Amino acid sequence: MEPIALGATGLGALIALIILRMPIAYAMILVGAIGTTMLSGSNVLLAQLKTLAYGQFSIYDLSVVPMFILMGSLAVKTGLSQDLFRAANAWLGWMRGGTAMASIAACAGFGAVCGSSLATASTMGKVALPELRRYNYSPALATGSVAAGGVLGILIPPSVVLVIYAIIVEANVVTMFMAALIPGILAVILFLLTIAIYVRFAPDAGPAKGAEDSAEFWAATRGMVPVLVVFGIVIGGIYAGLYTPTPAAAIGVFIVFVFGIVKGHLSIYNTQESLRETASTTGMIFLILLGAELLKIFMSRAGVPQFAAEMAVNSGLTPMMVLLLLLLALILLGCLMDSLSMILLVLPFFWPVLVAMNGGDFQPAEGSGFGMSTEHLKIWFGILALVVVELGLITPPVGMNVFVISALAKDVPMSTTFRGVAPFFASEIVRVGILLAFPALTLGLPLLLQG
Amino acid sequence: MAMTGTPLWGMLQRAIDVWALLGGVVLVVLVLINVWAVAGEFFGIGFAGDVELTEMGVAAAAFAFLPYCQLHRQNVRADLFTAATGPRIRRVLDSFASAVALGFAAILLWRMFFGLIDQRTFGYSSTILQVPTWWVFIPVLISLFLLVVAALMTLLADVAGDA
Repeated sequence: MEPIALGATGLGALIALIILRMPIAYAMILVGAIGTTMLSGSNVLLAQLKTLAYGQFSIYDLSVVPMFILMGSLAVKTGLSQDLFRAANAWLGWMRGGTAMASIAACAGFGAVCGSSLATASTMGKVALPELRRYNYSPALATGSVAAGGVLGILIPPSVVLVIYAIIVEANVVTMFMAALIPGILAVILFLLTIAIYVRFAPDAGPAKGAEDSAEFWAATRGMVPVLVVFGIVIGGIYAGLYTPTPAAAIGVFIVFVFGIVKGHLSIYNTQESLRETASTTGMIFLILLGAELLKIFMSRAGVPQFAAEMAVNSGLTPMMVLLLLLLALILLGCLMDSLSMILLVLPFFWPVLVAMNGGDFQPAEGSGFGMSTEHLKIWFGILALVVVELGLITPPVGMNVFVISALAKDVPMSTTFRGVAPFFASEIVRVGILLAFPALTLGLPLLLQG
Repeated sequence: MAMTGTPLWGMLQRAIDVWALLGGVVLVVLVLINVWAVAGEFFGIGFAGDVELTEMGVAAAAFAFLPYCQLHRQNVRADLFTAATGPRIRRVLDSFASAVALGFAAILLWRMFFGLIDQRTFGYSSTILQVPTWWVFIPVLISLFLLVVAALMTLLADVAGDA
């Protein structure tokens, strides 16, 4: 068989295996290993396997991943989420729809110590849903805003998927963290606006609960301090160039742990559970990374990414149209797969296409397809891709955030939650439009901080 | 054929759990080393070799997590498409997936054993602290052995329908 035909067959087999319930990591491993063997014989692969897995697992940039996961897992158990929600509610709750806005703001705040969307949605759901019910919020708005709020976790640093993206396309992790901040804040603003507009048309959906007295206001506000401290030290330190992400994450783990001990929330049992959760998530991610590497070896030997890039260049489509098509493909795939597997699976194909459309790896801004250097394109596309892959969490049929929230709010039908999420989905599409139209929003902060 | 309740099963399950927690302890130690490396710099008692220890430690910890992931079926999969099929078909599919995991774990254990021998023969070690790389391969091989065990356990459970 021609290598390229074999590559295409391999992709088909991969999709079939994923549909047939095979864990995505093992589907990649199986197709990658068999494909490479068919193309180059078994000796090459067997020799590579001696050190390939160790080589992948010991990449320094990757070491930040388990630390961020541990930090998030500890943060869930320390009661930070209650404090955050209480503070946000004291600030925003007096407005119409204010408690829903507070959920969004608290999700964003929690996203600053926890890189996982699902964990953010579920821990915030536990805190915010009972309050939203107490103030008679409509079930659609209540569940919708918490499910949507979880999406914020991915772009507000620290984000695990962002680290993985940076490793695959060989971007600087620190630069990516800088680029993600303004788009993340933009999402918060747009979500708050969405709620404000929503309650204008449906005033009964989100009644105002009135202002707190000043003693409660200040007491609640103090609850934000730990998160601000963690975010300031971890992300601030990274931005300022004081240390690289791994030591920063280690310091974050340390602070959250000490805070949990002081608050009395971290028993030995809770700490062990955090370690087990970290083991689950880290093991899963690292195995997918290994699978993706094996698949990449097969695909690049078969010439599939190069073929896709050539096809795109010869298709007569403008670079912008190709970009939009790729983003659309990510949104559609996101309905079926989790964001991390998807990033690992499709980027090795999508990224070479964009590089080719832009004019090559070392293309400067002048004369390039997208009007920016390939280095900048890497950052810009990464942020756009992360925004759209996360949309899968709130769209049917497998909107995981919606599932998590539905499990918490048992009396609200899932269709109601999906309906509640729809306005936020629309606001996310607006955000993608804004980020597409103004690349400076993404590239500005890294350029400012790194020159 | 309820194997999941036997004492041997329980023992293996505990061994895999303890091994994953030990991986977690390695991670905690790395956290402390990194905190020391940063804080130490401010006080003039820096820590040499934090980067290479982090690389080795995270790799060792990640391998230690794999058996736990396999046993508790934490490896993410798309179960949307087969949600409507009967339990029997799902069992067949899951058995196949467990068999792939078993085969992969066994091959990797075999290959990385030779990886260890290579590392030893060529005397590779870390740059600053001169830690021999093959030291890390020892816990990694134990992890892979436990991954073989875990995959075998999930395979048996799938075939017997205990899962």
